[in-house]
Amino acid sequence: MVLAGCAAGTTEEETSTPGATESSASAELADIIVGTTDKVTALDPAGSYDNGSFAVMNQVFPFLFNSAQGNAEMVPDIAESGDFISPDVFQVKLKSGLKFANGNDLTASDVKFTFDRQQAIADDNGPSYLLSNLTSTEIVDDLTVNFNLSVANDQVFKAVLSSPAAPIVDEDVFSADSITSDDDIVAGNAFAGQYVITSYSFNELIQFEPYAGYKGVLGAPTNASVTLKYYADESNMKLDIQQGNIDVATRSLSATNIADLDADENVNVIYGPGGEIRYIVFNFNTMPYGAETADADAAKALAVRQAAAHLIDRDALSSQVYKGTYLPLFSYVPPGLPGANEALKDLYGATPDQAAAAKVLDDAGVATPVALNLQWNPDHYGESSADEYALVKSQLEQGGLFTVNLQSTEWVTYIGEALADGYPAYQLGWFPDYSDSENYLNPFFLEGGFLNNHFDNATVNEMLRDQVGEPNAATRVSMIEEIQNLVAAEVSTLPLLYGAQVAVAYSGVDGVIMDASFKLRFGSITK
Amino acid sequence: MAKTQKSASSLLRYLGVRFLLIFPTIWILVTMVFVVMRMVGDPITASQGGKLSAEQLQVLITAAGYDRPILVQYFEYLAAIASGDFGTTLTNNRPVVELLATYGVATLELATYSMIVAFLVGFPLGMIAARKRDTVTDAGLRLFAILAYATPVFFVGLLLKLVFAVAIPILPVAGRVGVRSEIELAKLEGATGFYLIDAIKLGNEAIVLDVLKHAVLPATALGLLTAGIFLRLVRTNMISTLNADYIDAARSRGVSETKLVTKNALRPALIPIITVVGMQIALLLGGAVLTETTFEWKGLGFQLTEYLSARDYVAVQGIVALLAVIVALTNFLVDIIVAFVDPRVKF
Repeated sequence: MVLAGCAAGTTEEETSTPGATESSASAELADIIVGTTDKVTALDPAGSYDNGSFAVMNQVFPFLFNSAQGNAEMVPDIAESGDFISPDVFQVKLKSGLKFANGNDLTASDVKFTFDRQQAIADDNGPSYLLSNLTSTEIVDDLTVNFNLSVANDQVFKAVLSSPAAPIVDEDVFSADSITSDDDIVAGNAFAGQYVITSYSFNELIQFEPYAGYKGVLGAPTNASVTLKYYADESNMKLDIQQGNIDVATRSLSATNIADLDADENVNVIYGPGGEIRYIVFNFNTMPYGAETADADAAKALAVRQAAAHLIDRDALSSQVYKGTYLPLFSYVPPGLPGANEALKDLYGATPDQAAAAKVLDDAGVATPVALNLQWNPDHYGESSADEYALVKSQLEQGGLFTVNLQSTEWVTYIGEALADGYPAYQLGWFPDYSDSENYLNPFFLEGGFLNNHFDNATVNEMLRDQVGEPNAATRVSMIEEIQNLVAAEVSTLPLLYGAQVAVAYSGVDGVIMDASFKLRFGSITK
Repeated sequence: MAKTQKSASSLLRYLGVRFLLIFPTIWILVTMVFVVMRMVGDPITASQGGKLSAEQLQVLITAAGYDRPILVQYFEYLAAIASGDFGTTLTNNRPVVELLATYGVATLELATYSMIVAFLVGFPLGMIAARKRDTVTDAGLRLFAILAYATPVFFVGLLLKLVFAVAIPILPVAGRVGVRSEIELAKLEGATGFYLIDAIKLGNEAIVLDVLKHAVLPATALGLLTAGIFLRLVRTNMISTLNADYIDAARSRGVSETKLVTKNALRPALIPIITVVGMQIALLLGGAVLTETTFEWKGLGFQLTEYLSARDYVAVQGIVALLAVIVALTNFLVDIIVAFVDPRVKF
């Protein structure tokens, strides 16, 4: 297992196949076949907000900012530069001579068009809410755009410019006020990323060829073409990679299949830092001793949460349930991102401590066993959720401190009830919108965030707002660390695991890079 | 003359009634799907829940009109259907009609192969069972027919995969064609989507073989379901035909048993089977949903399960409506044929 260790905020080690070599300029470029189970919803950035669609967009659309291979740091991609010219205005200058593959010039007009239409269309399947800080977009000249922001010095904005809300589109091909169909986009050849799409069969097969006009940070692809094949069943994808029918398999293979492939000599399993997290949410109103229960007591409710934090054995969850494809997560920001720390390990230890849990409960006067209703979901977070929460239940019940009533609900009902105070404690997962620590904090712990678990800490709220606009990187890192420490003390949520990115490459295939951008770029794959 | 005219007008009336029955059939199915889908959640919550707050979700749900009175949504939908507008899928903004055209061909291809398997297996075995009536062979074949009909098609599919694609890997485990063949087929101008035809058009023998290899397991799994029914039907009808006086007369004139079975008795025995074929189309399409999912055969059935998971009402209603139309029209065609061919049908 090769796992990249990620230094906060700076270049991380690349993760690639063992013995990877640079392909020489003189070597014939290969045709690569990649398999995936992540389906496309739409190629139009305004009409989709999912891994499958974004995986394709990353190959064919340009971004103003992006991360280079093996790195999560935001740098200009097709932009020449980008920075604040005043606290509320982020100015981007484009590189000159940019064109779409259909020959249309890529100018500031296309950039303004891109963001205006995202906000105008605001499709319910789309990512327009990521632009909530963007007030307006102005053209300064053919190559210069001003983004007017509602949050001063928004340090997250560069990351937003690399997110699913920000692929730059051709104003002559895309509609200004409605979703443009995949077929129209492909027919219009409205691409300016590393690749163009030469053949498109929706959720069956997509063929990419390098685009010579791309002038971004990723450089020219090192293969002749890529074919992306879609599978409905990851077991079929696993068989195809084992038989060499495809060159790379990515998203998503089950932990069991990955473990099986790890033992297969014909393939290499490549791991990289993952952004996906799995956690338990406590509803501060309805959990034991919650604010709206008959025996409401904030101190006792806190003791219950802290006791749970003392009892969870993340190593066991990681090894027994997920075979190491998910790793222990001891804080709210996963490793590799600026400000990531291990706040929960510092407070509650790395291994279960029944004595500490018992003491916390006893000191607060909590009678044991504590009856805890814990809800989980069987169909949205993978088939291993059942095993995961069965193990969580047994961990919490060790020593008789808790009795856990484990229940499951199907997703559509589940999420509605969870957000409506239906469950005292429940499972959730999260995949980041962009590679920035803010995306693991503000949506959860800032008042008005999506979680709605009634956690409300004035100091945390203020710090969350301030860190977004803090221009000094070191200061921002400190703030992020402190926020995690404060939240960990209250255990608003209990992070359990973070997922490693996993790809499988057939023998002889190199250049599969899984980095903290959480984007698999096809351009580096060779064989 | 008067009798012929009366017969013709009766036939027209009979067929007219049969045709009109198509509409309430489709209406009932669409209504059932409409109601059931809305009882289990909306597509926005299915896709965006866990990312957006409850308030944000509600804003989107309201903007999309999913919280309007069900009757309002229902009558709007019926009006759209009546004008030929099957709508656009909610989860990926694709016209439902386009879905039907794209994936319907894949289902048609699977259904064709399966029907061939059903005929090739069910008819000869039925004839043998009739010929060997009340012997061990007959008992074995009847047991086979029951097992073929009663065993869930996805179980048969998984078993076949386990044996022929994993344990003895001589056939592909899933898909309509191999990856590399699929890449070549995607390059074909004017592709029909019926992979066997497209492979023949390409003139590539290896791809033709690849297509056929991929079809073996799913066609067998689905075809056996219908083969069991054909086997029993052929057996029953042939036994009653073989006991007819004219067969005895032929036998006494020295006609061989083989000729009696394959020629004299078979044709009359097939008439009732025509009636059943129409019903089997419905069974085949229902089985196709499970078979397509088991073998990742990306046809209408497969898409139906995908859109069901996403709570995409529009797509599910559209696909179900089309399947209902196919079944209803097929049964109508069978009614026409039977009216002409089967003397027992009165109108």
